[in-house]
Amino acid sequence: MKVSLDIPWQRYALIAELTKQCQEKCPQFGKTVLQKMVYLLQEVFHIDCGYDFDIYAYGPFTPQLLQDLDLVEHIGAVKIYPVASMSGGYEIKPGDQAAHLIEKGSDFLQKYEVKKAIETLVDEFGCFRAKDLELRSTIIFVQRDFQKHGKPLSAAGLIEIVKQLKPKYTDLEIQEAIEELRKKRYLETIA
Amino acid sequence: MGKTYEIRDPIHGFIELNEWERDIVNHPIFQRLRRIRQLGLTDMVYPGAMHTRFEHSLGVMHVATKMFDQIVKRRQNFLERELDFTTGGLERDRVLVRLSCLLHDVGHAPFSHAAEGLMDNDPKSNKSFKHENYSGAAVAFLMQDVVENHPLNQNYKITVQEIADFLNGRVALGRVLLWRSLVSGQLDADRADYLLRDSHHIGVAYGRYDLNRLLVTLTIALDPETESPVLAIEDGGVHAAEALILARYFMFTQVYFQHTRRAYDYHSVQALKHLLMEAQRGGDFANKEAFPPPTSRENMEQYLKWDDWRVLGMIHNGLAGEHGEILLKRQHHRRVFETPEVPNTSDLEFAEQVCEELNDLVSFVDKAESSWYKFESADIPILLRPGQGDEELTKLSRLSAVVSGLKAVSRTRVYVAIENKEEARKKVLNLRLKKEAQV
Repeated sequence: MKVSLDIPWQRYALIAELTKQCQEKCPQFGKTVLQKMVYLLQEVFHIDCGYDFDIYAYGPFTPQLLQDLDLVEHIGAVKIYPVASMSGGYEIKPGDQAAHLIEKGSDFLQKYEVKKAIETLVDEFGCFRAKDLELRSTIIFVQRDFQKHGKPLSAAGLIEIVKQLKPKYTDLEIQEAIEELRKKRYLETIA
Repeated sequence: MGKTYEIRDPIHGFIELNEWERDIVNHPIFQRLRRIRQLGLTDMVYPGAMHTRFEHSLGVMHVATKMFDQIVKRRQNFLERELDFTTGGLERDRVLVRLSCLLHDVGHAPFSHAAEGLMDNDPKSNKSFKHENYSGAAVAFLMQDVVENHPLNQNYKITVQEIADFLNGRVALGRVLLWRSLVSGQLDADRADYLLRDSHHIGVAYGRYDLNRLLVTLTIALDPETESPVLAIEDGGVHAAEALILARYFMFTQVYFQHTRRAYDYHSVQALKHLLMEAQRGGDFANKEAFPPPTSRENMEQYLKWDDWRVLGMIHNGLAGEHGEILLKRQHHRRVFETPEVPNTSDLEFAEQVCEELNDLVSFVDKAESSWYKFESADIPILLRPGQGDEELTKLSRLSAVVSGLKAVSRTRVYVAIENKEEARKKVLNLRLKKEAQV
């Protein structure tokens, strides 16, 4: 039986493509924003990028994406700069090899559903800061986790759990984010 | 205060247990861990690697408790004021953390992480189950009595479901999820223990770092970018944090991803797959080459019958097929090609050409990213000027040139059967010469 190498060019190309598309829209496209955007792409837009997200106090996260980002930086398709401000974090910019890498993953990126999903993702979520995306992705994770385990949450129950995970947010801020996601139909049924 | 018991440990000295924890340790499901080696068949390369998940689980509980106590000691006000914890709640969380850490590995398959690839798909997530799911299911289905009905649980009312949720990282835990970083994260007790323990037993120094320094500088703070609580190290522990990252890097490259060790991982999984198929032939499970899914008491009872002793006995008796024979004769597959640790595009393209050229000779491809111990360059948060009124959270990679220079290891290797080694190496050499000539 022939064994194939299966280098995940599509994952690497996705990082380069998101970096390119988010430059103008995103206030600071860093490692946290990348994590949450890819999570939303997988969960909300149902594009299987091959990542397995776990939940932490800081929201959905997968170390595999950091590993891929490192490689994409080494390849020269992105550049990562530490941000000097108190808000910390990083800024990811396109690198010299971005176009070449995007081309290598074009079979994936040019699929109609993938292209459309990335466009909508960047359009709808690209303007958010890391903390806004973290709140929204956490809301989605919590809602789906309960749904998956056959215990759909009420709106009040969802706020309660998210508030415990993100105590710096007020009930109103969480409620507004839930409403916004619901209006855009990114949140599945709430009991 | 009830009676306590001490178990002598080669890494931490004495590990203290109360009567409740001792009863859990005495439970057959925990005792099974004496029959699951920590590093599978690593002893084929490093003969000292005979230690088991039993002592590691005790070590993780011990280290996680020290971490928890340190954080609460230093930051109780912060936990209560900023994160809404209460004193009574923290006392209960400490018990939950200890039990969860003690039980975090009870769901391991034979040969530990190597066999994780034989876990069935979870239809709810369409992803493969992980050993944590099996640990959670073992506790929930089979340890209810010893956990929930123990007299020492009267005040806490800890349930097996809570422990399973902790191990599975379920958001139903609410704020308690914060403590999951103690068993799964950049600064977790699991990693803190296995690096030291594996180094000790194997006889290498690669995994050593200053655990005591890390413990006294461990803290919790809010990430300024997201305002989320994260475990961090005070600036006084920067070099201990550097050493931890380097320990992970060295242990990964020299031990966990050592090329022959990985070949034995491959053969042990293939042998186990053969045994599973034989054992489950005609049975109810849809996937005969996988372990029963952790979805019922009956499945877990079947699953937990598998341990290293049983599998090694079957291999010894010649029941494990072609790969069992390979293990017995130590005729493992050979690495004939590998990329650099951090490959560039042309390295990856060349690897694809190698695979194409070797064609049917390739027996398996191994990638660093598919190893459970993979070394990714996740950062450690550092709290600058703690308690001085102007504290600031930054990242270790900003303070350490050593750490900022480290990249995730993304090496890929190609293996062939021993009898094809020379032919394959010649083909790789010719391809390399051809490439160099083109350049």
